Amino acid sequence: MASWQLPVYRRQLLNHATGPTRIGAGDLGGKASGLIQLREDIVRRLSPAETEGIHVDVPRLTVITTDVFASFLSLNHLDDTDWDGLSDRRIAGLCQAAHLPAMWIGDLRSLTEWVQQPLAIRSSSRLEDALAHPFAGVYATKMIPNRRLDPDSRFKHLGAAVKFVFASTFFAAARDYRRAVGVADHPEAMAVVVQEVIGRRHGSRFYPDLSGVARSWNPYPMGRAKPEDGVVNLALGLGKQIVDGGLSWTYAPNRPAAPPPAAGPKDLLRNSQTSFWAVNMGPPPLPDPLREEEFLVRADLAHAEADGVLDLLASTLDPQTGRFRPGCHGDGPRLLDFAPLLQHRLQPLNNVLRRVLAAAEAAAGQAVELEFAATFPEAAPPRLGLLQMRPMAVAEDDILVTEEQMEGANVLLASHHVLGNGERTDLYDIVYIPPDGFEARHTPRIAAELDKINRGLVAAGRPYLLIGFGRWGSSDPWLGVPVAWPQIGGARVIVEATLPGMEPELSQGSHFFHNLIGLRVLYLSVPHRGGQSIAWDRLQQLTAVQDTGLVRHVRSDQPLSVRVDGRRRRGVVICHD
Amino acid sequence: MATTKAYNPFEMARAQFDKIADLIGLDAGTRELLRSPLREFHFSVPVRMDDGNIKVFQGFRIQHNDARGPAKGGIRFHPHETADTVRALSMWMTWKCAVVDIPLGGGKGGVICDPHHLSAREQEAICRGFIRQIYKNIGPVSDVPAPDVMTSPQHMLWMMDEYEVLTGGHYPGVITGKPVGMGGSLGRKQATGYGVVYCLREALREHELAPEATTASVQGFGNVAQFAIELYHQLGGKVVCVSSWDQEDQTSYSFRRNTGIDLAELQGITNRYGGIDKAKARELGYEALPGDAWLEQDVDILIPAALENQITGENVGKIQQRVKIVAEGANGPTTPEADAILEERGIFLIPDFLANAGGVTCSYFEQVQCNMNYFWEMDEVLGKLDLKMTAAYQAISELARKRKLYMRDAAYVVAINRVAEACRERGWV
Repeated sequence: MASWQLPVYRRQLLNHATGPTRIGAGDLGGKASGLIQLREDIVRRLSPAETEGIHVDVPRLTVITTDVFASFLSLNHLDDTDWDGLSDRRIAGLCQAAHLPAMWIGDLRSLTEWVQQPLAIRSSSRLEDALAHPFAGVYATKMIPNRRLDPDSRFKHLGAAVKFVFASTFFAAARDYRRAVGVADHPEAMAVVVQEVIGRRHGSRFYPDLSGVARSWNPYPMGRAKPEDGVVNLALGLGKQIVDGGLSWTYAPNRPAAPPPAAGPKDLLRNSQTSFWAVNMGPPPLPDPLREEEFLVRADLAHAEADGVLDLLASTLDPQTGRFRPGCHGDGPRLLDFAPLLQHRLQPLNNVLRRVLAAAEAAAGQAVELEFAATFPEAAPPRLGLLQMRPMAVAEDDILVTEEQMEGANVLLASHHVLGNGERTDLYDIVYIPPDGFEARHTPRIAAELDKINRGLVAAGRPYLLIGFGRWGSSDPWLGVPVAWPQIGGARVIVEATLPGMEPELSQGSHFFHNLIGLRVLYLSVPHRGGQSIAWDRLQQLTAVQDTGLVRHVRSDQPLSVRVDGRRRRGVVICHD
Repeated sequence: MATTKAYNPFEMARAQFDKIADLIGLDAGTRELLRSPLREFHFSVPVRMDDGNIKVFQGFRIQHNDARGPAKGGIRFHPHETADTVRALSMWMTWKCAVVDIPLGGGKGGVICDPHHLSAREQEAICRGFIRQIYKNIGPVSDVPAPDVMTSPQHMLWMMDEYEVLTGGHYPGVITGKPVGMGGSLGRKQATGYGVVYCLREALREHELAPEATTASVQGFGNVAQFAIELYHQLGGKVVCVSSWDQEDQTSYSFRRNTGIDLAELQGITNRYGGIDKAKARELGYEALPGDAWLEQDVDILIPAALENQITGENVGKIQQRVKIVAEGANGPTTPEADAILEERGIFLIPDFLANAGGVTCSYFEQVQCNMNYFWEMDEVLGKLDLKMTAAYQAISELARKRKLYMRDAAYVVAINRVAEACRERGWV
């Protein structure tokens, strides 16, 4: 990624400064560099004809560079702390009790003197930039309402949020992740992006009409779509809904009106978003600076409809016809399918997105992923804010998996729904959720047990095959195992299976996918209705290293053979043991 | 070391004021009002000494001007204290509070005594006696003293306690500079030194000098100097020379190391009065040079942070061509003759009552905290301090640029105009 130079944040220019600035003289980190590249190489080159009346921008931001982080650690004598022995809460507490560097504190303070709108305090890691590894979802982001009249309170919240992001550098998940990707010995440094949150205020909530993730390369092409057609996920409210793996609307940007495969209206309603995230602008919650969601609230569609934002985003099920009508009409159930935008094209959002995505891909010279948010106010032009750009690593080895191989002897599992491309012969360990006795209500416990097993395997340097049910990384424990990526970060092959009663659509979590792709993790899904199955009896026969009842860890004497043919969407795992 | 024999601070303070009054065309009435203190209290403080005898100490409290808010200023214990010194210092406090735009006026106090020759009990008796004489004329809403030369947080605590005994209530806002936990503010120790560097940082930005490419020489190694060095190092700069007073030799030395001083290392060999152990410094690789040598170093920045009257007409010529900025951490370190030469040479000056106003700004914060009995965290204090100092610097620098004024003159113009305006709006003149 190009090295960007930002002007120094100047207090006397506050009221006129709209371009990005920096506080400190160190590195910008990966996220900030991507944002600046977005602004310089893409947004500023878009012509009015290309944006069709939509105001496209990168929301205003200031970057607290990595030297401020380094000063923070050294001045508070935290730089030689043995973080491994401390819980996340203790780490966060230590950082909250520490002081921000006196040299930069006035700049931070002055930010809160003039900005009175919600801010996102986002991590921007140096390793992410330097090593081209995806660190998506590994470090913290905290949103603050920043609305109180008293600048002292606003400053306190900003300072606490910056310290929380600093602390997240050392959380167990981040440490494990760095070990898993082999960069534990690289010095990490954290820059912080302080950025305006795109959205509108509706009473006690502040949120964008929609958020989304657009990828120029689709690891899960559906129907006739090709990987190079790309894919877009849209959700109402803050983008946390998507990046946490919640339900969202998925479509191919060249065929925006084509609905995703579904078994009818009920299926569509069941698998669509029903609640959303917003910044809490209401009475302040109990203080908890150690919690990432301290200032966020969840609300349901009825609230969004009352706020007047659903008209462009939803369709209504007509009980008479059993069909969905774009817009909100009468009492029928609302489906967040974005039909007024995607089918009726009441706003040219998709056209603009396609152009931005193409421009971003051209600028990066490879497939990219964009995060964005949009608002459609009545009294002002629509706004599309670009929040992040990441290059996507796309595997290109030519692996051939034939139908015969998928049915041969010693096949542990085979799949026609795969993600990634490549082969592995270095796995001996398998961590799986036994189907007997599996219940969705146990998924939070399963996540905790997986975390422990993953940590042990990462520490031992043993990559593994992971098999489970439902959507990995789902924020909804009834749809899958609610793990954060670092909790399974040592897995190099991941299998999502379904069971009767646990058969949601496959993972949609943006961060989750990005890590899969970036780390070249191979992914196979084995729906129980799909004709393939998993040889559970073979797994049962392998030597158990650990069996918690909910999760089993087994080890094969012989290496597994894992082959995934991304072009033909076939994959197979063979166990010779 | 420069001589102070013919030095009358009040005359100097008046001369500076007169110059600016001429510059801004101040009317005669306001000029006359501001040339002298509004109120002076001179009193005797009888103390029973440890040997049983009674000794009477002479005390002063002088309130130069309180048009912008309660008078604010320290209480000095010094054997050579004079009313004129206290008058001058109270006037400078008026300008200092005005220049950083805090709602306070200027005052100063003093007792003619030498704490080196007094027991703690005797010092406590002086503190309590001082308050008994003046308590009707000071208070959180009228005049708020603070520590100064040879007075400490402990002295302030005794004074506050006596005030509360006499008035029958809790009034922690009557005095500032108290210990943390007893009504003191976090950040007070750092405030003056950090304030100097906040101004210096802005000056470097303004002159497009990269801090990490600069070096500095510092006079003094007391509280102000040490925290100024600390923050300047954080900024990326390198201090190559510091001077300090040697009690044993009764002279000062400059300690130089061209690769840069190590603050923690020097603090480890410094006594509580800021005196660096000469022998140990040499062992650590520092050259021990004559006391004035700090001024002659080939550096970008000079920070006089010790005493008044140090850069004079006699020694100003020793300042190297490379020096671009002088940041006055001490009060009155530069004489008017030296000032004229600095101006002529185009050396950028951050004048004392701006550069070292961090201390009084934090005292103001302490008073605010005391009055509401709610105390801020360190980040809160330093965040506000940085804002105040930077805003003050920028306002003065902007005026200096626009009107082509020397920085000291620009600071006086801002301060005197603010005070004069307050007097006019109150209808005093």
